[in-house]
Amino acid sequence: MTSLVKSRLIKFLLSLIIVLIAVLIIIFNLRDNIIYFYGPTELLKNSDKQGQIMRLGGLVSVDSFQNETDSIFYFSITDGDNEIEVKYEGILPNLFAEDKGVVVEGVYMNDGRFIANKVLAKHDENYMPPEVIETLKKSGKWQGE
Amino acid sequence: MSLYIFYISNFLLLLCLTASLMQSSKIINNKIFTRPDVMVLASVQLISILLSFLILIYLFLISDFNFDLVYYNSHSEKPLIYKFSGVWGNHEGSMLLWILILVLFNFLFALSKRISERFKNITVAVQSIMIFGFVAFLFFLSNPFALNQNNFFDGIGLNPILQDPLLAIHPPVLYVGYVGFSLVFSLAIAGLITKEVDQQWATIVKPWVFSAWAFLTAGIALGSFWAYYELGWGGYWFWDPVENASLMPWIAATALIHCVLILQKRNVMQSWTIILAILTFSLSLVGTFLVRSGILNSVHTFASDPGRGLFILLFIFLILVFSFSLFAYNSEKINKTSSMGLISRGTGIQVNNWLLITILTIVFLGTMYPLATDLLLNKSLTVGPKYYSTTIAPIIILFLFFMFISPRLGWTDTKLYKIIIQLRYLIITSLSITLIISLYFELFNLTEILIIFFSLLLVTSSVTASINFNKQNILVRTNLGQNLAHAGFGILMMAVVSNAVYSEERIYNAKVGDNLQLQKYIFSFDKIEQVEESNYNSLKAYFLMKKDGKLIDTFTPEIRFYSNPPTITSEASILHKFFSDIYLVMNVPQDQQSISVRMHIKPFMTILWLGTLMIIIGGVISASIRIGRFDEK
Repeated sequence: MTSLVKSRLIKFLLSLIIVLIAVLIIIFNLRDNIIYFYGPTELLKNSDKQGQIMRLGGLVSVDSFQNETDSIFYFSITDGDNEIEVKYEGILPNLFAEDKGVVVEGVYMNDGRFIANKVLAKHDENYMPPEVIETLKKSGKWQGE
Repeated sequence: MSLYIFYISNFLLLLCLTASLMQSSKIINNKIFTRPDVMVLASVQLISILLSFLILIYLFLISDFNFDLVYYNSHSEKPLIYKFSGVWGNHEGSMLLWILILVLFNFLFALSKRISERFKNITVAVQSIMIFGFVAFLFFLSNPFALNQNNFFDGIGLNPILQDPLLAIHPPVLYVGYVGFSLVFSLAIAGLITKEVDQQWATIVKPWVFSAWAFLTAGIALGSFWAYYELGWGGYWFWDPVENASLMPWIAATALIHCVLILQKRNVMQSWTIILAILTFSLSLVGTFLVRSGILNSVHTFASDPGRGLFILLFIFLILVFSFSLFAYNSEKINKTSSMGLISRGTGIQVNNWLLITILTIVFLGTMYPLATDLLLNKSLTVGPKYYSTTIAPIIILFLFFMFISPRLGWTDTKLYKIIIQLRYLIITSLSITLIISLYFELFNLTEILIIFFSLLLVTSSVTASINFNKQNILVRTNLGQNLAHAGFGILMMAVVSNAVYSEERIYNAKVGDNLQLQKYIFSFDKIEQVEESNYNSLKAYFLMKKDGKLIDTFTPEIRFYSNPPTITSEASILHKFFSDIYLVMNVPQDQQSISVRMHIKPFMTILWLGTLMIIIGGVISASIRIGRFDEK
């Protein structure tokens, strides 16, 4: 009986330690890897977020698209009230176009420009990322249902 | 005509409802409801649902747009196979498929022999309560046979990204896995009610739990394989909430199958096995319906309505409350104290159970955290994939170690040093191979090295364990299923790590005539063509891959323009070689002249799928061997 109690106690303590370590690692890692989503107006209000990885979404402003070379692009993302200039190096998705919804991932620099390292892919012409819809609703520019 | 079909199919659903209600009453042990007997009712359940499913297939094949479901999800010009797979490419149809598998498992279990009648009746009754719930949900809240008043000339169509042969089989396979656990759940509840969760119970459960697990594994693998070549991002796993939703029940089920084995061998861990059975099925429900509900945003989301989501949430809640109260009430009575040695196979499996639950928690938190902040704080955020890889990797190291050592330990207390001495050659071999790999390929990350080392150890150990000669030099029967699956997991882990470390990506903007380089290969952009297919137009680029001036292969990445509904997809062109895949995708942004091409070298992809296949086959073998042959040492 005592050996049973002992073995159970050891198992219990062992699992407790494992659980504790695991929970700590999980929490720290989760906090390090959270990527927030902002609309242009929201991001301008939170200027302390510069330097962090985040997502930015809205519409690609009309007449804002330029390419410096074959793979370096500049465009602005707007929610109707404010816009933020984005620089992106890489490959643009098939459905990327001005006046269409877009979500980019990258860093908001302290010069007010957004350096994107990802333009999130979409598959449907009429598809609008829910975050973008939310952003447009906030600025009162949403025209869908 | 459509009206007759409408009446017949709804009558069939009501018939199944009635039969399930009668079947459910058998949960009470009385003599009033002995007739009609279990088998008759189970046949009625199966036949009524099978017929209504066949009717739905028929409606899709003849494109009867008088039915809402066909109108919204099909199109007369769609190829036949996608009319067929369109049946479950929507909420109502996939619910009917889910129910069909539910009644099928119910029927198959009712067929099984050598099980006490009382236990069988209760299991079938619990299963029938669920059938009743889901058929009622289908009939009242998402009826696939709803008619519309308009005379539509043509349908709206199926999302082109779902028009893929693999996706015709991915949902059914995944569903067999998910729903298979409903039977395991019913068996667990029956065990709790009869207070007989013992070795015999484990023997009954084993083939069901292993086959459900094998199907779930195959379903996840098919989805991952589809994402790899269809989504055109070059990855096979994105830690997307939808993928996580299928991974969570898999992790719980993996813990469960091992507990069933311990229970069968040693008659211990009754409570834990029951908890895992309940957990696995609940996560399967969460997996299906979280994905379908529209809470998560993805191609898997079908048109949603809040009533449906509420019903499913309520259903999951009821199942949890019912099963855990039953468990709390009866758990003392099912537990029998018998001991296992401290350093024994049982302990090893227990430790890995804990590790699996930890991984499950990690995936659960990562998946639910963004949902919670979105609902409670109205703040949208994403959890980066790095969270999963960095958190799970250290646990995988421990997990691999116990996976390697546990099968080598006996069921009673074993001296660890004796085992280590016995395995010295394996350890030395694996260690030296790891060293060579890490030096040759300049791999200096400790986590990665350790994962490769323990994976190698696991693979070599599983392989040598399955080739076992006795003193007369005759091959002894060993646990082939276990060894194959374990070796497969080791291979999978090695492939995953090496793939993550050695993948390479190049992005080019190209015009016809350009030569692009990726490692030692040159890709000449030969031409670009427009092709018209029956249900889409496509833009096809031709790249000639050359090495040292010699032509090796032609790549034809494609962009497809579908019109019903209007959508653009990129089709990757992939060359599978044994040690690495070469992967080309192209894009044409609307504001640009040239095309952009993304090229990937994806090492060990073939090996990665091979490892997965070994795991699935191992599961199938374990499912088909009736009595476990966990070889005693």
